[in-house]
Amino acid sequence: MIEKRRIPLGILYSASGSYALISQACRVGVSSAINAVNADPALDLAFVPVVRDPAGNVDLYGPMCEDILRHSGANHVIGCVTSWSRKEVIPTLEKHGGSLWYAVPYEGFEASDHIVYTHACSNQHLLPLLAFVMPRFGGRGFLAGSNYIWGWEMSRLARERIMQAGGVVLGERYLPIGSVDVDRMIEEIRLARPDFVLNSLIGPSSYAFMVAYRALGLSDPHFAPARCPVLSCNLTECELPALGGAAEGLIAAGPYFCGAAGWPRQRCDFGSSHEAAAFAAVMELARLLAHRPGGEHLSLARLLAEHSGTPGIIDVQTHHTVLPVIIAQVRGGAFHPLRRIEGVAGDPYLTRGCDVRAAPLLRVVS
Amino acid sequence: MKQPIRIQNLGGARALILHRAHPTVVALTRQLTAIGLEVRQAWPEGDADVAADASGVDFVFFDADMGHDGMFPWPAQQPPVPLIALIGSEAPGRIEWALRAGAQAQLLKPVGDNGAYSALLIARDAFDAQRALFAEVADLRRRLNERQTVVRAVTMLMARGKPEAEAYGQLRQMAMAWRISLEDAAGRIVGPTDQTGGRDDRRDWG
Repeated sequence: MIEKRRIPLGILYSASGSYALISQACRVGVSSAINAVNADPALDLAFVPVVRDPAGNVDLYGPMCEDILRHSGANHVIGCVTSWSRKEVIPTLEKHGGSLWYAVPYEGFEASDHIVYTHACSNQHLLPLLAFVMPRFGGRGFLAGSNYIWGWEMSRLARERIMQAGGVVLGERYLPIGSVDVDRMIEEIRLARPDFVLNSLIGPSSYAFMVAYRALGLSDPHFAPARCPVLSCNLTECELPALGGAAEGLIAAGPYFCGAAGWPRQRCDFGSSHEAAAFAAVMELARLLAHRPGGEHLSLARLLAEHSGTPGIIDVQTHHTVLPVIIAQVRGGAFHPLRRIEGVAGDPYLTRGCDVRAAPLLRVVS
Repeated sequence: MKQPIRIQNLGGARALILHRAHPTVVALTRQLTAIGLEVRQAWPEGDADVAADASGVDFVFFDADMGHDGMFPWPAQQPPVPLIALIGSEAPGRIEWALRAGAQAQLLKPVGDNGAYSALLIARDAFDAQRALFAEVADLRRRLNERQTVVRAVTMLMARGKPEAEAYGQLRQMAMAWRISLEDAAGRIVGPTDQTGGRDDRRDWG
C-alpha cells in the first residue's frame, strides 16, 4: 500500500445557531469525503480534520480560521455558511496564504483568489428558477428575505429580472436573522396576491414563514402551491425535517436533489446539495494534492496553476465550478425534478454570458 | 476647468466611523489617528446616540455591508459632510445603497495599513465639487426664473423712449456698475412692489 501523507484540513462550521442544519449537512459531506480519501489505496494522502465550531457567532470565524491556519499546519479550510462569515475569514486567508472551500449557495459578486466556490451562484440558481417559473405562474412576484446580504441581493436581482421580463414586484420585505415574526409579511402577501413568492429567508425565519404560508394556502386557494408557489434558492433536503408538511409545493433550484446522478461524478446518494458540494470540494482538493508532495503548502493559485493532470472542476479565473441546474418541487416530502439544465458555469458577476434569461412574458393584446 | 485641488490640512479634523466594533475599526482608527484626525466610533443599536456622536465631525466613514437608511442622523441622502463607504461585499445592491446614501469615496474591507488618506482627500474634493455645482445650478435656476423680470425691466426702460436694443444695453451697464447679475439689476428696476419682481430693494438704486 502506498504511504500516505497526513495533511491537516480545517473544518469551520457552526454546530449550533440559526443555520445549524446546513452546517450539519456540510459536515456529513466533508466526513464522507475524508473517509473516502483516507481509505483510497491509490491516493498518497490522508486528511486529518481540524475542527473549530464558531457556534453561529460571526465574530468567531476570523479568529478560529486564524487559529487553524497558524497552529494546526492546515493550509486549507472548508467551512462558512453565510456570506457574512465568509467575508469575515477573507482577511485571515489573505494574511496567512490559506484557502477556503465554500460549499453553499450564495449571491455571487465575489471571486477571491483564496476561495473555491463549489455550490451555485445566482446564474446557477435564481436566474434559471425565475426563467422557469414566470412563464408558468405569471410575472407578479413578492420578495421576502433575511435582512443581510443574501436576502438583499437575491431580492435586488430578482426585481431586476422580473422587471426585464415585463413582470412586477408587488412587495419586498425583510426579517432580521433569527426572527420568526412573519405575520405582517404574510398579511402583506395575502393582500398583494402575487403569482409567486421568492423566499430568501434563512433558518428559523424561513421555517416560520413556510408554516404560516402553508396555513394561508389552506384558507385561501390563491396561495396553494399550484397557483402561487414559494420559490427558494437555499432550501434543500437538509432543512426539510424542520419544515415538515409546510414544504409541500416549494419550488427550489440547486445543483443536486436526492438521487440526481451526474454531479458530483463520484456518487449520487447524498442527502442534499450542501452535503454533495462539501463532498465535491474535499474530493477535488484531494485530487489536486495527490502525488504532489509538498503541494499542501502551496497557495490555491499555484496549486491550480501548476497542476499538470486533467483539468479539474474549478475555473481558474473565477474559482467557481460548472454545475447542473435542477429545478425541483417538493411533493410528498421529497424534491421531484421539474427541469434540468446541464453544465452551467458559475458566472459570479453575470458578465460571461452563462446566463439563463427569462423569456419576456407574453401579454394578451386586446 | 475645475478649481485647483484643495489639499486640506487634516490635522485636528474629526472623523466618525459608523461601524460595529471590529478589527476594521481598529485598523482605520490607527490610520486616521496617524494622519492627525480625532476619531470616534458609533453604531446605531441599543441606546446609542449616533446624532450626538456625529455632531461637529468633518468626515463620516460608514459600513456599507450592514448599513441602512435610518442609521444616519441627517435627512435621507443629504449628508452634511463627506462620506466614505467601508465596503466588504461588492454586491451591486450594496454599492447602489452606498452611492444613494451619498458616498464620495470608498475603502475596501479588510482595511489594512493604508488607503484612508487618499479616501479622505478624494471624498473632500468630490463633496466640495458637488456642493459648488449644486450652488451654481440653484443660482442658474433662480436667474432662469427671473426671465420675466428682465423683460419687464427692459419694457420699463423702453417706456422712457429708448429702442429695445438700447434699453437692454442700459440694463447691462447698470448691472455692471452695480456688480450684480443682469437679473438682479432687472429686479431693482422693476422694484419690490411688483409681485413677480426680484427681491432686491428699490431704495438702494437711487
